Amino acid sequence: MMDVDPRQYENVAINDSDIHNIVLSYLVHNCFKETVESFISCTGMKQPADYQEDMEKRKRIFHFALEGNALKAIELTEQLANDLLEKNKDLHFDLLSLHFVKLVCSRKCTEALEFAQTKLTPFGKVQNYVEKLEDFMTLLAYEEPEKSPMFRLLSLEYRQQVADSLNRALLAHANLPSCSAMERLIQQTTVVRQCLNQELSKDPPPPFSLKDFLKS
Amino acid sequence: MENVTAMLGPKRLIKKHEFVRIIIQCLNSLGYKNSASCLESESGISHKSPESKLLEMQVLNANWEDSIGILNGIEDLTDETRASALFLVLQQCLLECLSRGDDSSALAILRKRVSPLKVGREKVHNLAAGMLSLKEMGMGKIDDSSICELRRKSLVELEKLLPPPITLPERRLEHLVETAITAQMDSCIYHNSFREISLYEDHYCGRDQIPTQTVQILTEHKHEVWFIQFSHNGEYLASSSRDCAAIIWKVLENGVLILRHMLQSHQNPVSFVAWSPDDTMLLTCGNGEVLKLWDVETGTCKHTFGDHGFIVSSCAWFPDSKRIVCGSSDPEKGIYMWDCDGNEIKAWKGMRMPKVSDLAVTPDGENLISIFSDKEIRILNVGTNAEHVISEDYSITSLSVSRDSKFLIVNLNSEEIHMWDVAGKWEKPLKYTGHKQNKYVIRSCFGGFHCTFIASGSENSLVYIWNRGNSTPLEVLSGHLMTVNCVSWNPRRHQMLASASDDHTIRIWGPSQPRNITTT
Repeated sequence: MMDVDPRQYENVAINDSDIHNIVLSYLVHNCFKETVESFISCTGMKQPADYQEDMEKRKRIFHFALEGNALKAIELTEQLANDLLEKNKDLHFDLLSLHFVKLVCSRKCTEALEFAQTKLTPFGKVQNYVEKLEDFMTLLAYEEPEKSPMFRLLSLEYRQQVADSLNRALLAHANLPSCSAMERLIQQTTVVRQCLNQELSKDPPPPFSLKDFLKS
Repeated sequence: MENVTAMLGPKRLIKKHEFVRIIIQCLNSLGYKNSASCLESESGISHKSPESKLLEMQVLNANWEDSIGILNGIEDLTDETRASALFLVLQQCLLECLSRGDDSSALAILRKRVSPLKVGREKVHNLAAGMLSLKEMGMGKIDDSSICELRRKSLVELEKLLPPPITLPERRLEHLVETAITAQMDSCIYHNSFREISLYEDHYCGRDQIPTQTVQILTEHKHEVWFIQFSHNGEYLASSSRDCAAIIWKVLENGVLILRHMLQSHQNPVSFVAWSPDDTMLLTCGNGEVLKLWDVETGTCKHTFGDHGFIVSSCAWFPDSKRIVCGSSDPEKGIYMWDCDGNEIKAWKGMRMPKVSDLAVTPDGENLISIFSDKEIRILNVGTNAEHVISEDYSITSLSVSRDSKFLIVNLNSEEIHMWDVAGKWEKPLKYTGHKQNKYVIRSCFGGFHCTFIASGSENSLVYIWNRGNSTPLEVLSGHLMTVNCVSWNPRRHQMLASASDDHTIRIWGPSQPRNITTT
């Protein structure tokens, strides 16, 4: 496999504190509170005063969303960041729909219908919401929603997706980067490789594979 | 009660009870309810079948289980139809639950009874998704009369689904009468105008609908007349001749033609003219001649295209009246597209381009049709560049396209005219014969109301007219003294046909009526 000559790496100097920042940003993004504490004390880095508290709150909100307890997640979000959901209507809708799904899964269909009418229809006639709402409503037609064509909406992956969006929105609200530096670096490398692939017709470097890179 | 197997009509094809039943349906749909029920009691025949009446009663009274029972009990239904019918009933039931605020019953119906029906995922999903708006509607806004109205509507939908004899297709009697009239019109070979049909008489048009008699002879040309064509608005006729001139004639209100402009600037015989779609300009070209563009109003030559090295055999306009294409009879010269100032827009040329003997653009501008090497009809879709080729076994001497852009006809020197569809779906052409053609270029055209006729010149001095539905001639017109080279049918005055002959004259033909022949 033709790859970049490893000897070229020697020419790039890396600053320790840059690495620390990258690791820290990853840990903070994912709310690994205890790890953050020990990492900071090991490396002697500085952090703003109430970062612990904020991380703790964000972590709780994230987990409520992940397990499907959307109403609690919404309540806490509104306490922490008052106008966040107003400014992120898509996110608000997705969170409310998690609650709808929870009701459907507990076979509380009448409540689910009621909830949809009072909480979801006010999002108006915007095409995007109308389509999403239709998808959710079809779950009501099945006695076993897990077997319906829309079963994806009941899955952990879907909840993860919504919880991640919420996490990013909360980070943005606190003026922190919504993407961890680690993520960005991997994305950057992949895109650069793609560009090179397109530019060089002869012997271009292969697409970036994180797995292969770590093994080499 | 009448004898159920009584038959009507001279051929005893009509079942009497069916006939009476559709008459009752007709009376009802026209609003004559009293007459309808009178007829029902007099004849003992009922408009609605027993199942239909029962179903009506149950649906209007919201007896949903009974309605479902009736539907399940009807024997001759396909599973699909039965499922769709049950869906309609359950849908109405669900709606009424929602309007009463009974959400849980509505949901139960949706989940336990609608979902399992084999009506297709989409219908079920739409109903589920629609429940929200149905709830909105139900919030105290639906009153009894609206509910009744909705029940009636679902009943109408149900009746459309169910097959005869349980329910009848809507307006059955009108449909049957219309079918008969249409068949009469289709078999009317002289049909050439929009005429109102009366039910009192079988429709047929007489011979007086089409041109069969000379009404005028135009003698201004000094040599063989090779080409004629009416303008698109039918107000002018252009003719071209071996005398190297072209003439623009005006068609007056009363149908008489007078000379308007004599276009004299060509050095050689002019064998082809083409009107711009907006009829303001005329193109002329000929054997060994250049292409000239004339202004119709003033009769002056506005532009000359090409030079003596480029021999234009034929040309055609695009519907915007701004672009023209012309083909060369020199191989390799190909086809050029120009604007009216002579700027080249596109060219198809090169080593593989054969000689082009005829060109046409369909009136909708979508297809460019060319005759290559005398025997190939090449149809190019201008937008997609897709092309298909029709190969003929004999030389083609003429190409014409119908006004609806769907059909083309070609004259072959095997004495046949072939019609093909522009879309290229036909495997064989429709053929028309009877005329004479071996040696010369003889041309034909479409004509008449809806282009139902074809006319052609012929080497035996006669003009031939066919109805498209028949391969043998409908009419053969005599009068010319020598070979008739070309014909043109007026696109607006469907009873006017023009023909051009080697006898130096152009004849105008009209319907048979006592009329004096005018010679100008």
